[in-house]
Amino acid sequence: MRNTVVVQRLLRIAYRYRFQCLLLLVMQTLLMGLAVAVVQLGGLGIDLVRYHVGSIESPPVMFAGRTLPATISPLGQVAIVSLLMIVAAIIRMLLNWAYALYAGDLVHRRIVVDLRSEVYAKLQRLSLRFYDSQATGSIINRVTGDVQSTRAFVDGVLIQLSILALSLVVYLTFLLRIHVLLTVVCLATTPLVWWLSLRFSRIVRPLYDATRRSADELILRVAETSDGVTVIKSLGRQQAEIDQFNVVNDQLQGHQQAVFHTVSRFGPTVQFLTQVNLVILLLYGGHLVSTDQLPLGTGLIVFAGLLQQFSNQVANLSSLAGTIQQSLTGARRVLEVLDAEEEVAQPAKPWVPTAVTGRVEIEGVWFEYEDGSPILKDVSLTIQPGQRVGILGGVGEGKSTLLSLLPRFYDPQCGIVKIDGVDVRQWDLTTLRRSVGLVLQEPLLLSNTIAANIAFGNPHATADQIREVARMAAADSFIQQTVDGYETMLGQFGMSLSGGQRQRLALARALITNPPILLLDDPVSAIDPETEHEILAALKSVIQGRTTLIVASRLSSLRQCDKIVVLSGGQIVQQGTHDELIDEPGIYRDVAIVQGFLPHESVDSIEESERLGGVRR
Amino acid sequence: MNVLKEKPASSRRSIAQAFRRGDGSQSVAPSPVASPTSQTPLATMVRTMVDPDAESQQRPLSLTLIRRLWGLMDPYARKRRMLVILVLARAAQIPLVAWAIGATINGPITNGGPIGSIALAALGVLALGAAQQLTLVFRQLLALQLGESVIHDLRGRLFSHLQTMPMSYFANTKTGRIISRISSDCDAVRVGVQDVMFVTMVQAGQMIGAAAFMGYYDLPLLLVILAFSPVVWMIGRLMRNRLSVSYRRVQESFSRVTSTIAESVSVIRVTQVMAREQVNAQMFHDLTVDHAGYNMASTRQSGLLMPLLELTGQLALALVLMVGAYRALLDGDAMPIGNLIQFWFLAGLFFSPIQALGNQYDQALTAMAGAERVFRFLDQTPQWTDLPDAKPLAQPVAGRIEFRNVSFGYTKERRVLDELSFVASPGQTIALVGETGSGKSTLASLVARFYLPDAGELLIDDQDIRGVTGESLSQVVSVVPQQNFLFTGTVRDNILAGLVGAPDEVALDALEALGCRRLIADLPQGLDTLTGARGAGVSLGQRQLICFARALVMNPRILILDEATSAVDTLTELRIQRALKRLLAGRTSLVIAHRLSTIQSADQILVLSQGKIVERGQHDELIQKDAAYASLYRKFTAH
Repeated sequence: MRNTVVVQRLLRIAYRYRFQCLLLLVMQTLLMGLAVAVVQLGGLGIDLVRYHVGSIESPPVMFAGRTLPATISPLGQVAIVSLLMIVAAIIRMLLNWAYALYAGDLVHRRIVVDLRSEVYAKLQRLSLRFYDSQATGSIINRVTGDVQSTRAFVDGVLIQLSILALSLVVYLTFLLRIHVLLTVVCLATTPLVWWLSLRFSRIVRPLYDATRRSADELILRVAETSDGVTVIKSLGRQQAEIDQFNVVNDQLQGHQQAVFHTVSRFGPTVQFLTQVNLVILLLYGGHLVSTDQLPLGTGLIVFAGLLQQFSNQVANLSSLAGTIQQSLTGARRVLEVLDAEEEVAQPAKPWVPTAVTGRVEIEGVWFEYEDGSPILKDVSLTIQPGQRVGILGGVGEGKSTLLSLLPRFYDPQCGIVKIDGVDVRQWDLTTLRRSVGLVLQEPLLLSNTIAANIAFGNPHATADQIREVARMAAADSFIQQTVDGYETMLGQFGMSLSGGQRQRLALARALITNPPILLLDDPVSAIDPETEHEILAALKSVIQGRTTLIVASRLSSLRQCDKIVVLSGGQIVQQGTHDELIDEPGIYRDVAIVQGFLPHESVDSIEESERLGGVRR
Repeated sequence: MNVLKEKPASSRRSIAQAFRRGDGSQSVAPSPVASPTSQTPLATMVRTMVDPDAESQQRPLSLTLIRRLWGLMDPYARKRRMLVILVLARAAQIPLVAWAIGATINGPITNGGPIGSIALAALGVLALGAAQQLTLVFRQLLALQLGESVIHDLRGRLFSHLQTMPMSYFANTKTGRIISRISSDCDAVRVGVQDVMFVTMVQAGQMIGAAAFMGYYDLPLLLVILAFSPVVWMIGRLMRNRLSVSYRRVQESFSRVTSTIAESVSVIRVTQVMAREQVNAQMFHDLTVDHAGYNMASTRQSGLLMPLLELTGQLALALVLMVGAYRALLDGDAMPIGNLIQFWFLAGLFFSPIQALGNQYDQALTAMAGAERVFRFLDQTPQWTDLPDAKPLAQPVAGRIEFRNVSFGYTKERRVLDELSFVASPGQTIALVGETGSGKSTLASLVARFYLPDAGELLIDDQDIRGVTGESLSQVVSVVPQQNFLFTGTVRDNILAGLVGAPDEVALDALEALGCRRLIADLPQGLDTLTGARGAGVSLGQRQLICFARALVMNPRILILDEATSAVDTLTELRIQRALKRLLAGRTSLVIAHRLSTIQSADQILVLSQGKIVERGQHDELIQKDAAYASLYRKFTAH
C-alpha cells in the first residue's frame, strides 16, 4: 500500500473522532494562553517592584494599555499580580489534568478499543490461509503494538502537528508583540535545531537497530545454553559457548559505542543552540532595555520565558518524524488484516438441514496451497454414515488437508465435497462446522478452567452436559481426582496434565456440540507410545454412531477402522481393512514391518524395496 | 503529551524488551486468579494466573550492593576518576551559567550600560555555556561507556558462570528467568551506573550550587524556596508510588490481552469449527474495555503528577515575588531588584532536580533489585568440580557400566532411583522401558554425570565416576536428548559442535558411517543449511539424523540416547532405524526406547517401575515370562 493511501485511510479513521480531537485542541489553546499569562504576570510583577522602588518612571502596562489603579498600595499591587499568577497556575494545572484525562479517554477507551475489537473480530473470521502465512507473534503484534501505532497517528501525529502549528501562532504572536526584530533574531537558530533533530534520528536509528540485533543474538545464546544444556554438557562445549558469547558481547559493546558517540554529542549541541538564542536575547534585548526601548520584566524576562516554552514545543518535533514513520508502518499491518479477504464465505441461500446423518462424499478433489504444486490430486472417497475411515500417509502427503476440506477451512480448487449429498459450499457455514468435531495433534487447551475448556463450543452448556462428554472421553475420572475438579485451572501456572489427559479433554471439547462427523487429525502422535492406549480406549466409545475420519501414522490407531486409505503423492494408492492391506505388498505392509507388526527379520528386505519406493508409485 | 502506556510499534520490540515486560507483569502479590476490580467478574476466554514465584522489581538501597557495583568499575578507575571530575565541574557550571545570565541583566543591562559592556557580558555567558555543553559531551560519553563496559564484563561473567551451573539449576529454572539475569537485570544495573550514579551527583551538585548562589544573594528568600522543596519531594514520592501500582495493574491487564490473542490464534481451527467467532469477539471487546479502564486509572495518576509539580514551581515563584516585593517596598531593606531576577533563574535550577531525583530514586531501587539478583547468581556455587585426585579414565576405555545399589532423588523427600544395580558389558545395548516417571531418564543422566548418585556406586570400567575428570568423561560419554536440540547456526556447526574447527570431511564421514550421506543432498544448502531459531529447512527426521551424527563425531565409547517419539514418514523412519543401528554398533549404549525395533534388538531390556528394575532380560525371554514387560508390549502393539 502506498503511503498516501495509508494516510488517506488513517485520516478517515481519525475523522470518526473529529469532535473529541477538536475539543482537545481548544483545551490546548487555553493551556497555552494560560502559560503565556503566567509568564507575563511574572514579568509584570518585576516591573511593578522596579517602578515602586523608583528604578523606572512610568508604571508598567498591565493589559491593553491599562495600569493598576494608583489607589492600591504598591505591595497590594504586587499581591494582586502574585495572586493572579497563582490563580492562573492553578487553573492551568486543573486544565492540564483534564486534558490528560480527556486525551486518555479518547485514546484508551475509544480509539484503541474500537480498533482492537475490529481487528480481533476480523481475525476470528479470517481463513486459515492467513494464519498459515503468519507467525503467532506477528499476529499478536497486529492487535497490540500495531494498533497502538495506528492510533498514534491520531494523538501523536495529527494532534501534535496541530498543537505545533498552534504554538507557532500563539508564541510568535506574543513574541512579535513584544518586539518584532528581537523575535526574528532570537529564532534564527530554530530551523537549525529542527534540521539537526531530523538528521539525528536518521543517523541514530540504524545504530539502534544494530544494537537491538546484537542484543537479540545475545539472548538467543543464553536461551540455547539453557535449552541445550544436555548437549553442551555432554559435549564438554562450555568453553566454545563462552567464546561464542564473548564475540556477540563484544559486538554489542561495539554497536553501543557508536550510539554513545552520537547521542552524547546531539543533546549538548541542541542545548548550546538554545543558549545561543538566549545570548542573542541578552545582547540585543539587553541593549534595548538599557536604552529604554524595552521594559525589563514585561519585556526581556517575559521574552526569555516565552522563548523557553517555545523551544520546548519545538523539541517535540524531533520525535514527530519517528512517530509518523512508526504509525504508517503499524497502520499498514493493521489495514492488511482489516482488508484481508474472507476466503470462505456463507453462501447466498444457505442450506440448513433438520438432521445430519454424516454421509461424506469427496469427488475428484484437487487442492493446492501454492500455484503449481497440488497437494491433493483427484481424490475421491465415499464414507457411509457411522463408518470409521483411517488415513495413512507420510508427512506432507495431504492427510490433514483432506480433513480441512470438510469444515471448509479451505475450498478445493477442483472437485466437490458433499455431506449428506449436499455440496459443503451450499451449507450454512455455522451448521456445517458445528456438525464436525475436530481433534488435532496438539490438544491446544486454553488457560482457563477444565469446564470452560470443554464448554468452548457451547458456552451455555450445563455442568451435567460437560460431565457427560467428559465421561464419554474417559476424562471424568481423572478430572474428579484433581483438587478443584472441573474448576481446575490449566495453563502456565495452573495444573499440568499429561499429554494423554490433555488430549482426552480436547476430545470432550469436540463432543460438546454432539457432532455426527468426527475428524481426528493424528491425535496420538505427540504422545508417548506407553500412554497411547489411554486415548485409543477413550476413542472406542466416542466414535460409536459417528462418521469418523482418523489420520494416524501409527498402525495401532488405524487397525480397528472399517476402511483404511493410504495417501501418497496426493492420491489414494491403497484402500482396504488392516487385515487386507497387511498381506498386500505396498506402503501399508512396509509401515507394518517398520513398526513391528510383522516379524522383525523382514526389515532388511523391506529396506531394499523402500529404496525402490518410487517405482511402486 | 504522553498518554501511551504500551509502546507503539512493538513489532520492533526486541526479545529483551518482551522479557522485560513479561517480568514486569509478574511481580504481583500472590492472588491466584487476577480478577478485575469490577463487581461482576469478566467473562473471558483466557484467565491468566499470576506467577507464584514472581521476582520483586525493587529493593531498598543497600550500601553493600552499591559498594560492589562501584567495585565493578575498578578496572576502569581512570575513566571513573575523570568522570567524577567532570560531574563536579558540571554541578558548578550549571548554576554558574544561570548566575551569569542574571548578572548580565542586573549589571550592564539594568544599569543602562553601553552596548560594549552588554556584549562583553553576553559573550561571557556564551563562553560559559559552551564550556558547560562541552563538559556535558564528555560527561555523557564517559558515563555511557563506563556503564556499558561494566555491564559487558558482567554479562561475560554471568554467562561463564552459567556454563558452570549444575544440571539441577537448569532443571529448576525457566529459560525466561535465566535470560532476564542477562538482559533486564543487567540493563537495570546499567541504568544504575550510567544514569543514577552520576546524574544524581550532577543534580545534587546543581541544587547545592543554586542554593549557594541564592543564599549569597538573599538568605530569607532562599528559605522560602527551601520550604517548598519537601512539598515537591513528597508529592513526587506519593504520586510515583501510586503510579507504580497502577502501572502494574495495566501490565497485568495487558498480559491478559496478549495471552488471549495468543491463545485465540492457536485455537483458531477449534474456534472456527465450533462457530465461536462472535462469542470470542464479544469477550475480547469486553476485555479491551476493561483494559482501557486500567489505563485510565493510571492516566488519572500520571496526568496529575506533572501539572502538580509545575504548579508548585510557579507557586514558589509567586511567593518569591511577594516576599521580595515586601522587603523591597515596606521593610525599607533596599533589596536590590537584581536579587529578584537572580532568583527567577536560579529557583528553576533548584526545583527541576527534585523531580528528576525522584525518578532516579525509583530507578536506583530497580537497579538494586537487578544487582542483587545478578550478584546472588554469581555467588551461587557452581557444579561440583573434579575431585583433587580425579584421574582421567584409563585408556583404552572399554565402556563397561556398572550400577551398584545406586540411589538418587532430585529432592531429599522423594527417591527417583532406589538401590538400583545392573551391569552393561562393553558394546551392549541396554533398552530402558517403563511408564513416564519410572526413572528412565534419571538413570541415563547419572551416567553422563549430570547428577551424582546419593548413595551406591556408579562405575565406568571399574572406576568410580566421582573420581573421573569431567573432561575425559565428556570424551567417552555422548548424549542424544529426546528433543533433538539443534544449535542456531548451520548443519555443519551442529555436527561438529563437539570438535569445533574440524574439517567438513569429519562431518561427511560421520553421515557416511550412519548411512545417511543423502541427507546433505536433501538439505537446501547442504552443510550450510541454517538450523535452530533461524532454520526452517530442516525436517524432524533430518534433525534426528543430525543429532546422531553429532554424537558419532565424538566417537564415544558410551552413548546415552533418548529416542524421539514424534512421528516421521516411513522412509525417514527406516533411515533413522538404520542410522541408529549403526550408531549403536560397538558402543555401550543406554537407550530410553520408544521404538519396538530398538527394544526388540536390545541385548538387555531393563523394565523400570518407581525407581526399581522390575524385570530384565531379552525381548523373547520377557515375552515368555508374560509379566510387566509383556503387558507393556501389548499396549504398544495390540488393540
